Amino acid sequence: MSRGSISLAALLWLVIAFLVLYPLSILIIESFKIAATGGWGIGNYLEFFQDAYYLKTFLNTLYLSTLVLVTTTVFGIPLAYILARYRHLGKTIFTALILLPIVLPAFAGVFAFIIFFGKYGTVNLLLMDIGLTEQPINFIYGLHGLVFIQALHMLPFIVLGLSAGFTNIDPSFEEAAEVEGASGFRRFFTITLPLCTPSYLAGAVLVFLWPFTDWLTPLILGQVDFLPSVSYINISYHFTDVHRKYMGIVAVVVSSVVCISLFLLARWWVEKKKYTGLSKGTTSEGRVIEPSAWVKSGAYVYMIFIAILVLLIPIVLGLAAFSRRWVFEPFPTYWTLENFRLILLESPGLIKNSFLYSGIALVFGIAFGLPVAYLIVRTRVPGRDALDFVITLMLAFPGIAIGVSYLLAFWKGIPLAQYWIIMPIALFARRLPYFLRMAHSSYLQLDPSLEEASEVSGAGKVRTFFNISLPLLLKGVLVGVVMFFIMAFQEISTAVFLYKGGWETLPIGIYLNWHRGMEFGIAAAMAFLMIVITFILLLIISRIGGGVLKAAWGAGEN
Amino acid sequence: MAFIEIQSLFKRFKDVVAINRIEFEVNQGEMLTLLGPSGCGKTTTLRCIAGLEKPDEGDIVIDGKPMLSQGFVPPSKRGIGMVFQNYAVWPHMKVFNNIVYGLKLQKVPRQSIREKAQKVLELVGLEGLEDRYPAQLSGGQQQRVALARALVTNPKVLLLDEPLSNLDAKLREELRFEIKSLVRRMGITSVYVTHDQAEAMVISDRIAVMDSGNVVQIGTPENIYEKPANKFVADFIGTTNFIPGEIIRVAADTHTAVMRTEFNEELHCHTSDLTATVSGAKVNASIRPEDVEVFSQPPENPENLLKGTIAHKAYLGNFLYFFVNVDGTMIRVQVSHQLPQEEGEEIYLLLNPQKCMILF
Ligand SMILES: Nc1ncnc2c1ncn2[C@@H]1O[C@H](COP(=O)(O)OP(=O)(O)O)[C@@H](O)[C@H]1O
Ligand SMILES: [Mg+2]
Repeated sequence: MSRGSISLAALLWLVIAFLVLYPLSILIIESFKIAATGGWGIGNYLEFFQDAYYLKTFLNTLYLSTLVLVTTTVFGIPLAYILARYRHLGKTIFTALILLPIVLPAFAGVFAFIIFFGKYGTVNLLLMDIGLTEQPINFIYGLHGLVFIQALHMLPFIVLGLSAGFTNIDPSFEEAAEVEGASGFRRFFTITLPLCTPSYLAGAVLVFLWPFTDWLTPLILGQVDFLPSVSYINISYHFTDVHRKYMGIVAVVVSSVVCISLFLLARWWVEKKKYTGLSKGTTSEGRVIEPSAWVKSGAYVYMIFIAILVLLIPIVLGLAAFSRRWVFEPFPTYWTLENFRLILLESPGLIKNSFLYSGIALVFGIAFGLPVAYLIVRTRVPGRDALDFVITLMLAFPGIAIGVSYLLAFWKGIPLAQYWIIMPIALFARRLPYFLRMAHSSYLQLDPSLEEASEVSGAGKVRTFFNISLPLLLKGVLVGVVMFFIMAFQEISTAVFLYKGGWETLPIGIYLNWHRGMEFGIAAAMAFLMIVITFILLLIISRIGGGVLKAAWGAGEN
Repeated sequence: MAFIEIQSLFKRFKDVVAINRIEFEVNQGEMLTLLGPSGCGKTTTLRCIAGLEKPDEGDIVIDGKPMLSQGFVPPSKRGIGMVFQNYAVWPHMKVFNNIVYGLKLQKVPRQSIREKAQKVLELVGLEGLEDRYPAQLSGGQQQRVALARALVTNPKVLLLDEPLSNLDAKLREELRFEIKSLVRRMGITSVYVTHDQAEAMVISDRIAVMDSGNVVQIGTPENIYEKPANKFVADFIGTTNFIPGEIIRVAADTHTAVMRTEFNEELHCHTSDLTATVSGAKVNASIRPEDVEVFSQPPENPENLLKGTIAHKAYLGNFLYFFVNVDGTMIRVQVSHQLPQEEGEEIYLLLNPQKCMILF
């Protein structure tokens, strides 16, 4: 192995140490600080698990995670089955719509559904107008609303994993069951579904972790007794009460430990149960069937139902964005471009910041991700598996953990957080694993002999990389690049801890306008703007990557 | 008495006709092999019998019951066992659970399930492996699991789709005999699919040779080898020489004909198709390498005697193999005795008139 790859590995480890290991260790250290005495100890943790409130928060979060997972699973299984197995019209468009929430900002859904399903939202006003109900129905505020919104947001991960499973398992496994006498549901539950568990689990674990990450949705719905919301409130609102801050940090650490453990557990299980090696000779189309007319109509109704729920998000936000004073009316009556004028004239900085930070994060991502992918796939440098492992692990870290740890680590000592560069750095660190996986898999598909041929012809490793590897990798990498940009563009859970006056991005602007100022017209316009930008980026991806399905790749799949 | 009847079965995939109105019968307790080159429609036929594929036309009758014409009978209701080409042993279930899956569905009492499973495990030689997962088994063992799973429910019909094609050559030969004796002992009516003619010869009671969606000949292995119905069968089953020429005389009563070869020699041949064998017809005479005798000097009676030059000579242990050039036509010859002639020297070939066949 060359000296070059060793120095490269050393350099990359240095970056990881600085951007991941150092902040996280500070986070853990801080969690052991005792506010009352100024000393150290496990007191905070003891308090956390003895205090009725924190314990309740912890259990609540587990409960919520379970509910969200069950909901996404129950709704996701038929959806994935329909998409993977039934021959139907509009497959591409339905797939795209159902996967849309992956690329929509999580908070966009919350705002849209509050406007639509809220106490005096469209649905309630319509129901009361036609006299079906006297009092508004509480569709959304409360645990049920929380489950609904989080489940809709995470549904694509389940659908992506399962439909890949349904498509890829060898048809003869099911045919053998059919011949043995198992028909219909029996076969599905004893053969098909169990064989898909590895691909299901990959998505399921991300779904389960979401309530440990998402502090914003509970907060907006007035449900604060969940770990991430408590952490956020304790750390952001009670900066002066040092003890509460430490308890918030403990909550972040506990969330992270839960997330990491579950993530590793799922990974270990999937590794153990890999069935793919056993199937031979699968047709690429899998087992596409022509359902009976009744089943088909049912499938359409179901897909349209889910698609409408998803589409409500951009539609409702669009209505809100182009109107003002939309209150106590089912639909807006006063149309205006005022919201957009305000954004563009009074806070163009938000848009600029969003593009600037995501752009810089992206440059970091490419500069770091490609060499890492190269090291992992093409060299035998010691510790490359560990490198891969650490970065993959970051997939499971709640965004809030990265935000808080950066705040703690880069304030004094290394005062990076006093400069705006901390924003792109945090975005980069948070979304790195996604980009890496993409680069990684395109590298795996690149035949090494193409590179070797170039080296034999006398080109050095660096030259070979730029002349041969990069052009061939470009397609895969470009999709990764755009996806990375979209995710960085929407990032809020990390950024909200780090921004200072003048550093606000669009997501932060949305949050501030909505939550603090109740300027929901402006917030909606910003969210709408983000959706439009995301859409344009997605179109670019599907041009490069061939198909929205590939573009909206789930983080869970292998 | 026919146990399975295939009645003018027709199946097309978009514009590819996979099977073209084929007809055949399988007798009770018989092992029939569908033999043919890749893509000739064997798997499609088998899957139609299983009910995994719906034919466009025709019917399948199993044990007197129509599977199609009186409403489609699904695979789960046909009482069949099937061994798939890739085994399709469920990777998420232990060997035992794989095997008893069908029994559980039939609501067989638990005690009886244990006994049956034990018996079939012994039968296929998998005792002691019931708690393994398929990933912990070799290819041959997975194959046995698949076989056990198909047999344990005691099906009326056993279908096997190239069950040995994924195994290495040695194991393949062993398992041929095992499967044959096992199935024969249990007396199950079975349809076996393969593209390997040697396998088909060993394993079958009768063979149905298929060519591009048609069944071209059905018969016992001997019958098909000795009396191939056409050029395709003669070529596909074993090795043969084709000598092109033109019919000059036909003796209908003895089913013989005389042909003039392109190198202007007369050959006396057997013919079964008297309507096509007419004077002037362009035909091929087929003779297998082992039906040619070889002489250093021309023998007394000169009928069907050809003179040629040895192009290649190969020593294959128990016999010699020659490529003999007869005026530009290459004839393969197999003899079991030594011969002093070397490559480039002249030699005389005697083509046995009983074994020399006119084929189309
Ligand atoms: N599911 C299918 N879709 C389209 N064509 C098929 C399908 N299955 C088989 N065929 C075609 O039908 C013909 C017969 O196939 P098959 O029965 O698998 O042949 P064999 O088993 O003899 O190799 C082939 O030309 C094959 O390409
Ligand atoms: Mg086949």
